[in-house]
Amino acid sequence: MSLQEGDEATPEIESGETELEALLDDLIVDTDDHMNAPAFVIRPDTVQETLGRLKNEAGYDHLSLVTAEEYPDRYESIYHLKKFDDPTDEVSVVVPTDSENPVSESAEPVFRTADWHEREAYDLVGIEYDDHPDLRRILLPETWQGHPMGLDYDQDRPQMVPLREHANPLQDDHRSDTDSDTMFVNIGPHHPATHGVLHLETTLDGEQVVDVEPDIGYLHRNEEQMAQNGTYRHQIMPYPDRWDYISAGLLNEWAYARAAEDLADIEVPEYAQIIRTMGAELCRIAAHMLAVGTFALDIYGDFTAIFMYAIRDREKAQNILEDLTGQRLMFNYFRLGGVVWDLPEPREEFFEKVRTFVDELPDALEEYHDLITSNEILQMRTVGTGVLPEEVAKNYGATGPVARGSGIDYDLRRDDPYGYYDELDWEVPVEDGCDNFSRLLVRMREVEESAKIIEQCVDLLEDWPEDERNIQANVPRTLRPEDDKEIYRTVEGAKGELGVYIRADGTEKPARFKIRSPCFSNLQTLPEMSNGEYIPDMIAALGSLDIVLGEVDR
Amino acid sequence: MILQTETPLPDVFANLLGLGGFGAVGEFVAALIAAFIVGNVMLAMTGVAGPWAKRKITAKFTDRIAANRIGPAGLGTIPADALRLLSKELIVPEGADRPAWDVAPLIVAGSAMLGFAVIPMGSGIQLADPEVGLAYVFAVASIASLGMVMAGYASNNKYSMLGALRAVAQNLAYEIPLVVTGISVVLFTGSLRMSEIVAAQQETLISVGGLAIPSWFAIVNPFAFVLFLAANVAEVGRNPFDIPEAPTEIVAGFQTEYSSVYFVLLYLGEFLHIFLGGAITAVLFLGGAAGPGPESIGFLWFVVKIWAFFLLTQWLRSAAPRLRIDQLIEVGWKGMLELSFLNLVLTALIVGVVV
Repeated sequence: MSLQEGDEATPEIESGETELEALLDDLIVDTDDHMNAPAFVIRPDTVQETLGRLKNEAGYDHLSLVTAEEYPDRYESIYHLKKFDDPTDEVSVVVPTDSENPVSESAEPVFRTADWHEREAYDLVGIEYDDHPDLRRILLPETWQGHPMGLDYDQDRPQMVPLREHANPLQDDHRSDTDSDTMFVNIGPHHPATHGVLHLETTLDGEQVVDVEPDIGYLHRNEEQMAQNGTYRHQIMPYPDRWDYISAGLLNEWAYARAAEDLADIEVPEYAQIIRTMGAELCRIAAHMLAVGTFALDIYGDFTAIFMYAIRDREKAQNILEDLTGQRLMFNYFRLGGVVWDLPEPREEFFEKVRTFVDELPDALEEYHDLITSNEILQMRTVGTGVLPEEVAKNYGATGPVARGSGIDYDLRRDDPYGYYDELDWEVPVEDGCDNFSRLLVRMREVEESAKIIEQCVDLLEDWPEDERNIQANVPRTLRPEDDKEIYRTVEGAKGELGVYIRADGTEKPARFKIRSPCFSNLQTLPEMSNGEYIPDMIAALGSLDIVLGEVDR
Repeated sequence: MILQTETPLPDVFANLLGLGGFGAVGEFVAALIAAFIVGNVMLAMTGVAGPWAKRKITAKFTDRIAANRIGPAGLGTIPADALRLLSKELIVPEGADRPAWDVAPLIVAGSAMLGFAVIPMGSGIQLADPEVGLAYVFAVASIASLGMVMAGYASNNKYSMLGALRAVAQNLAYEIPLVVTGISVVLFTGSLRMSEIVAAQQETLISVGGLAIPSWFAIVNPFAFVLFLAANVAEVGRNPFDIPEAPTEIVAGFQTEYSSVYFVLLYLGEFLHIFLGGAITAVLFLGGAAGPGPESIGFLWFVVKIWAFFLLTQWLRSAAPRLRIDQLIEVGWKGMLELSFLNLVLTALIVGVVV
């Protein structure tokens, strides 16, 4: 391949980028520079070719996110690629399509995860994807008129759709197929095991699942648009609390804070970073406790001892978070450049409380191991069921405990360090069983690691000199990042890789705000895990994915 | 020591009320009165168990408080709950198979009530004591499966249907080990008559320091006892075998579509079945109504024993995960069945060689 033939190499190009340009030589139309990664602009009919080369020859095996947006003169789909081995090695592929006929080739044959991401892009922005296996709306109802994130969308136009035109999800029960060997069952939207309003269109052959198709969107609020209507400085931060609302608020806030701080070039003081790290890990413990509790609920079937014990221990973390932030659920504690206030006074009392919690945690976990992981019936139910092989998990962009339960050693806290994580001593738990049991084990071991992190943070905070307790950087009253600056940043949320893409347009509000929800990608793996298994195993697999519909639907 | 009176309860009433002279009519009235009393005692116990004891026990296991608002220790919640359940709207699903749908709850609750007819409850309380008592009690108890299938099939709901199919599969898998293990007791007693089974357990097995240990079959053959308990828990459909209901999987199984009074009947039926399971266990393995103290308080011991079984089911409910239906059937057919026959052979050997 000839090197850089038709391309104007920009001076600051790194060597890796040159190699990529060589690899994609004949496909690149133009280059762009996103703040997080080099971006290559390609033609809409070469998407599969480009992504295929990047995946197979350059090792970009993780399609983290597909962002779609509309400009006055064109539509754009951006494929944010990463490597599972090194998430800091990123590349973006930008696919512009003209505004009259926005058709672009689908990336689904290369990355399975593109299936849902492109459906969302079609649903909200209006880009159509050629060669997509199932291009339907995903978040909004079938009868919705228009694409709400498009520029010409009329917000005030009522969605007047008569009842008879609404697709009734319960009507089509496939009863007419009289000779059919299978049975169609709607599991949800209201069902004890769907963890919120999730609708699983399930086809059964006796007790076995032939096919399951998650139907999402019942909790869709278009959080992205809400964020686009808020100013960077203060108005966006409350929203992340409402994505993954299972007490993982601080982790979500960090996703926005990281993207916006890098976009506006804000340096967070070290002291604030330690507080953030401690708070985030407390959130992780609270979130994982609920995950373990509800997973046990799905397996055991009643409000059993484990669920109540897990809630009891989660409550302790929750109380500490309440002391720290003043809130129990919607914390709104982070600010761009730091946190809103210092640790509560008297500090000794607070440290004592955190220490007691962390010290008691190993005993509590031992109790869980006695009750859950060493229970033979639970092992019968979870070992070897809901299997998600490593390659499949990667193909679907699974992250977090789901990926780590499938043997993928991928944790952004370590691999793409932020906050204070790289200064602390902790490990990333990985299990290679690929089954429900592994995912459970990963979560329980992660709680231990989080406790380690919290302990070290408390030590650091306790010895911090009083006159250096700087909780916020100097941030301008109004932030106006430069026009056409684009950034995509991710953090390790409770469920996995939680990312935020922001495009600035020189105003105080983002022109495009896109959320990468780990649950959205993780939920997509459900059919892979449960097709051919029994109903109870599908329920267990769903529980082990630990989805939060607020984050799936946003 | 003979705990059982020779006269069943109806005859006692007949004598008391002087109904003996009225022939068949008198017998019928006496039997009706006796059955009314026994039935109401059992229903009253389920009434305590369902809305109150179940909550309180589970709460203790899971670090909670549970019902404590009305009356002492929340006991007032029983009438309040009864009123609430009875005053709810009865929702009949579209396309329900009407007579079957209405009859099913009656069958589930009724089959358990019928079982109590032959149980010797101590203090002279036993409605009837036929020669085939044990066979009868197993037979009527398993009629409940029919009720579950009717409920599931008639509800016109897929979850109900799945629950009904599961109920059948489960009961087939567990009925046989249950009965075969029960037969091993009959080998000892040589009789299916309930009173004789109880009487056979009253002899002293060994005396340890003046403390007479009775020859309860649970002590004579603990293996059979454990086997029977496990099969019994499956038979009454409690955790870890609550597969026909499996709330997280198939909503509520065969009873998904039931509300109001019909739901109460199914709910009562389930508790009655737990108590009947406890009663059968007590009669077969725990010496019936035997216990320290005078013979006249035998009924109290009997109640203690069946509540102990109830406590066990609630303990399992709080601590044991649910099996998958295929695993349960595997355990039933491949494990329990073999073990129960092994137990039968062993018992036969012991009876043949030792006794």
